Amino acid sequence: MTRAAAEIIREYGPFEGVEQVGGVTYDGRQVWIAAGGSIKGFDPANGDVKRSLDVPAHAGTAFDGKHLYQIAEARIQKVDPDSGEVVSTIPAPAGGGDSGLAWAEGSLWVGAYRDRKIHQINPDTGQILRSIPCTRFVTGVTWVDGELWHGTWEDDVSDIRRIDPDTGEVLDQLDMPAGTGVSGMESDGNETLYCGGGRSGKVRAIRRPKRSRG
Amino acid sequence: MDSLITAAAQALAAGDPLGALNRVALRDDPPALALRGIAMARLGDFVRAKALLRQAARAFGAKATMARARCAVAEAEIALAARDLTWPTKALAAARETLERHGDRTNAAYARSLEIRRLVLIGHLDEAERRLADLDPSPLLPAARTIYELIVAGLALRRLQTKAARSALERATHTARQARIPELHAEIERASAALSAPAARMIVRGGERLLQLDEVEALFRSDRLIVDACRLALRQGSHVVPMARRPVLFALARRLAERAPDDVSRGDLIAHAFRGKEADESHRARLRVEIGRLRQLISGMAAISATRDGFVLSPCRDRNVAVLAQPAEDEDAAVLACLADGEAWSSSGLAVALGASQRTVQRGLDALALSGKVQSFGRGRAQRWTCPVAPEFATALLLPAWSSLD
Repeated sequence: MTRAAAEIIREYGPFEGVEQVGGVTYDGRQVWIAAGGSIKGFDPANGDVKRSLDVPAHAGTAFDGKHLYQIAEARIQKVDPDSGEVVSTIPAPAGGGDSGLAWAEGSLWVGAYRDRKIHQINPDTGQILRSIPCTRFVTGVTWVDGELWHGTWEDDVSDIRRIDPDTGEVLDQLDMPAGTGVSGMESDGNETLYCGGGRSGKVRAIRRPKRSRG
Repeated sequence: MDSLITAAAQALAAGDPLGALNRVALRDDPPALALRGIAMARLGDFVRAKALLRQAARAFGAKATMARARCAVAEAEIALAARDLTWPTKALAAARETLERHGDRTNAAYARSLEIRRLVLIGHLDEAERRLADLDPSPLLPAARTIYELIVAGLALRRLQTKAARSALERATHTARQARIPELHAEIERASAALSAPAARMIVRGGERLLQLDEVEALFRSDRLIVDACRLALRQGSHVVPMARRPVLFALARRLAERAPDDVSRGDLIAHAFRGKEADESHRARLRVEIGRLRQLISGMAAISATRDGFVLSPCRDRNVAVLAQPAEDEDAAVLACLADGEAWSSSGLAVALGASQRTVQRGLDALALSGKVQSFGRGRAQRWTCPVAPEFATALLLPAWSSLD
């Protein structure tokens, strides 16, 4: 396992009317954040909020190339990003104890915060396909280049980890500076990890270490 | 981060404790316990709320310092709302320091404002004013900020600083609009009404006139001798002789002032100061003693000379002495006047000060409490009474801002 301090490249926000940032996702153009009562999309080039969808948004957010997925209460909503309409909903696997959300390889990956698990589920039915054990409370989850990354936030301490998707073993760990947490997380498909900053209302861009890119 | 906790915290922030409970009622993890505790407090079940918050603080464990600190702040506020004297002052101070150290400025400022609200409640107004001056209110959320401004206004009103009170109320109106809590607007209106309502009745040479608060303020700044029955004191400019604990001397001073520059007969004075008794020789002797005491007390402000029938008061400077009385004087006016200094009184202390029976005083206090003019804290023999500085809502529960993440 390698361990290093997280390198913050850039900070966005706090955004107007956003008291806390939950889930974070990226659709190739905009970064979407779960802001409690809405999902907001901002331009990562300048941080300007371009869109706001009136959808309850309490935890993780994901994007499958066409639709947004958003956890609210104990369910996962499938949202049309153009109209802001909820197309369908499925039950969330941790029954409301759910945190991060990611879409990869035809599945949704859901962080179960206090259960310290990541569930792989069927995005149409919500059925749990398998569960990966983690060692700390899980927040944001993201896949990039075949790597599974997740955030942790427990007892005021936060870090970002790359884990073995089969065993849950921690392969890389990036420690967040004291006082900064990671709520939602999403990769831009390249070297950046966008991380929600919880109640700071900020989104931080963190550099994904080169050596883990294979 | 957990979806239902976020949803419950959001419901609480929106003033929906039942909605919050619906989401976490069946959960026993620490953040859920804390949110349940806060929701129960909002619903008025302080005993259950306290138990849940204690349980949450324990369950969070030693490392979750922020979460535990927020539990402590919530618990302190519940004690304040319950007027509980066994108040965790040290725990709150420690929690505030933790929050400050970890950069939770909102809740740290909130903890500070709770400490100030407690000082106001127990009548330590000077200390409260000092702490207010030290508190930077900018991190406070709008509702808490509104209450802060109401307290600033309340203290300014008590100090007769009408301009400062008015600007604090203007700021409160502004922040209350953001807070969207209708009760806050009602409180601000009530406090604003105090600025334009008659604050006192001025009696000079037998004539009467109602004064607004800013007129009272101007009167106090003049160098006229004032016998102030609203605050039980004699004052001239910056020289103030408190007389809350000298009911007989005050009654004599007031009667003499009301009639000045004419004299007042011995019989009249005895009837006023000694509770309507027929004047006999022993009363005349006592009157001479009490007049002597009063003379000494107000030397430099006014002289009292004997006349053929009685006594006459002549102020040293301005010839007109003014009496300030409550706009409408009922039997509770004296109780209110005692409490006007902002200090906390026991009912027995009030009875001694007013020369009335404790039962009479208690009856008066109960009536005044019903109309919200006085408030109490503590129970049994430890119960104390004060005049609320800021209206009642200023001690209502807002509770710390909670996020799902700690």
